[in-house]
Amino acid sequence: MAPSICAVCQTNRALILRPKNHQKLCKPCFISVFEAEIHHTITTNSLFHRGERIAVGASGGKDSTVLASVLKTLNERYDYGVELILLSIDEGIKGYRDDSLETVKRNAKQYGMPLTILGYDELYGWTMDQVVEQVGKKGNCTYCGVFRRQALDRGAAKLGVRHVVTGHNADDVAETVLMNLLRGDLPRLSRTTSIVTSTPSIVPSSPETTSHTNIKRSKPLKYAYEKEIVLYAHHKNLDYFSTECLYSPEAFRGSARALIKNLERVRPSAILDVVRSGEDMAKLVPGGNDNCGNGCGGQATLVEEEEGGCGSSNGRTTGGEMASMEQQLVQSEAAAEGGLEVEITTAASKSPNPPDSDVIPLVTGKKGKKLKGPPHGTRKQPARQTMGQCARCGYLSSQDICKACVLLEGLNKNRPKNSIEVTYDIPEEASLNGNTVVNGVQQLSLGPD
Amino acid sequence: MSFGVSSVTLLHILDYQLKNQTAKTGRTGFQLLVVHIDTSAVEQTAPNPSLISNLQARFPDHSYAVLPVKDVFEETTSDAKPQTSGQPEEQAEPHATSTSSHLSTLLASLPSATALADTITTLRTRLLTAYAAAHACEAILWGDSTTRLAERTLSETAKGRGFSLPWSVADGPTPGGIMFNYPLRDLLKKELLSHAEFVRPPLTEVMFEESKTGVVSTSSKTTTIDDLMRAYFESVEENYPSIVANVVRTATKLEPAGFEQSDARCQLCGMPVPEGRFGIHGWGGDQHDAQGLEAGVQKEGLCYGCTRSVPRGVGLPP
Ligand SMILES: [Zn+2]
Ligand SMILES: [Zn+2]
Ligand SMILES: [Zn+2]
Repeated sequence: MAPSICAVCQTNRALILRPKNHQKLCKPCFISVFEAEIHHTITTNSLFHRGERIAVGASGGKDSTVLASVLKTLNERYDYGVELILLSIDEGIKGYRDDSLETVKRNAKQYGMPLTILGYDELYGWTMDQVVEQVGKKGNCTYCGVFRRQALDRGAAKLGVRHVVTGHNADDVAETVLMNLLRGDLPRLSRTTSIVTSTPSIVPSSPETTSHTNIKRSKPLKYAYEKEIVLYAHHKNLDYFSTECLYSPEAFRGSARALIKNLERVRPSAILDVVRSGEDMAKLVPGGNDNCGNGCGGQATLVEEEEGGCGSSNGRTTGGEMASMEQQLVQSEAAAEGGLEVEITTAASKSPNPPDSDVIPLVTGKKGKKLKGPPHGTRKQPARQTMGQCARCGYLSSQDICKACVLLEGLNKNRPKNSIEVTYDIPEEASLNGNTVVNGVQQLSLGPD
Repeated sequence: MSFGVSSVTLLHILDYQLKNQTAKTGRTGFQLLVVHIDTSAVEQTAPNPSLISNLQARFPDHSYAVLPVKDVFEETTSDAKPQTSGQPEEQAEPHATSTSSHLSTLLASLPSATALADTITTLRTRLLTAYAAAHACEAILWGDSTTRLAERTLSETAKGRGFSLPWSVADGPTPGGIMFNYPLRDLLKKELLSHAEFVRPPLTEVMFEESKTGVVSTSSKTTTIDDLMRAYFESVEENYPSIVANVVRTATKLEPAGFEQSDARCQLCGMPVPEGRFGIHGWGGDQHDAQGLEAGVQKEGLCYGCTRSVPRGVGLPP
């Protein structure tokens, strides 16, 4: 079989089958196509402005490493005039981040970017190891997830940076779209499809708490396929660390992820198509002015909790999310049963007798969707979340006190008052023991204040 | 009427309702036209259209019709106006007048099993809509179960048709100018199946037995996106029926996009295309202007979803 010729330059031998559209490309053309697309994403969405300081949320994994590398390349090539720095978060799980943080440190040298590593202890006063010790292994993922969502923003605020870019790719976004359909969460679907989140337009009331609220987040790799990110990293010989996610994804995400993989196999464009659908559906989500997807000239979307792919696993190990949601739904259905019975149009399977009216127009022409009264929807109109700020820390929150602060309060309340000593040798048994600290000695002294 | 459990059940229920109305009041509130779109010429798995006579025998009070899917090309009486400019090599039979050759030209140009299934579905809906309009119908009643609607929600999403989702899962007026209703929207497929066997005589006698689904072919060549979603929701329905229902409720909450009759429409599915954003280019995920690839292949005039399925835009119905 004759070797294929690159579809772009028509000169070189094609060595790469482009995952996105199965185009046959040579290596230089693949690299330049990949970079051109990111550049296109950045410019058409006006992600950056000259003079901006931008922190790359760097985990040492493929996504953020490619992001840092591509941004450096593009910043130089197209003279964006932005200052790029690396920001890494250390959860404080002994051993877990060692290799990835080493990778980030090397990246910082390779790309000539300043690196800041912030630990959960600096940000929250607790390392994850301490949290585990306090609350036990069950449930600590909740803490990790909640803390992680805010960590980059808190870190950026500490550094005086107002824009964080993350390595979320097209697969992550597509996965989130399907997951939120499965979970029935339209507001979140709408938020997570936008390329820029958090809103600079919400001006906090008191100036000293402006910090986290004004952090802008964006996803320059939003349209880049995970497979192409891996290919790019490979062909550019990028130095990254393949992290295995610590936790298995929660059931809805796991389910969505499997679907995305299968879809990609059946139709390579499907990942992009889901992203497109997600953007279009965001415009159809009722009652929001945050439903502008990408279209609203630089207007950013408010986000409370950033969904993460594996790198920011908010995973749990139980996998029982579907079961517990099922239960919840069954209960609320049961509660609404009376109302529902009359609303279901023909209700035939339940009561074979049609209602007693003489003439039953099947379709009342003008009424359209109102036909079934308030059928599905009005009853559980997607909660119009009013985003405010956490009274404690100023982070965006739909509650008075954000989740992180609530969790911290609980942790701090149970922190042993006296006999605080520092030791890094935490006996394994201590952490297995539910909610109580066993011997009270192994508590670290790194308090929040 | 697809002869599947859902549409047969719907007919059974409506037939019962009409009989009751007649018995009680001596008059009826509606008339039914039972329409089957025959795709057996282009789909091996399609039911035999002659099944309609069994239905007619069992539910004799209604009008019945079988329309071959190629009729979707019938609106044009002549081949005078070329639907698609360019691509001359694809239009091997520019003067072919038979609708079936139009259909096979279109279907032969499709790149995958998913594209084929998607396009046939689109043509079916189009033909049915045209038929309903021609017969002054007030609405089209679809038999889709909750399970089916959940499948469609995810599969339309996966096909880049999120924009038109409200029109294919929610009750209400559609851009085609006719009302769509889904009276079985609150029933699971497994409930319909039990009911069909429970009814005397069983509805299964007049149903088309689909080949056993659930097992998705491992070949990505023959598997469609619809197949994937069918298998997925069949398994979710087993243990989490309320989650299936919740997906549909969620999709139904989406508000249909506003549109004017004068808005640009997709040449194939007839959906309004907002801001004239035809094709797969011209949005954030678009790479077209980034390096000018594939220029010329793209036919304007198709929506995003249809462009994915019919990338060459060849031989579209009028
Ligand atoms: Zn090349
Ligand atoms: Zn807070
Ligand atoms: Zn279309």
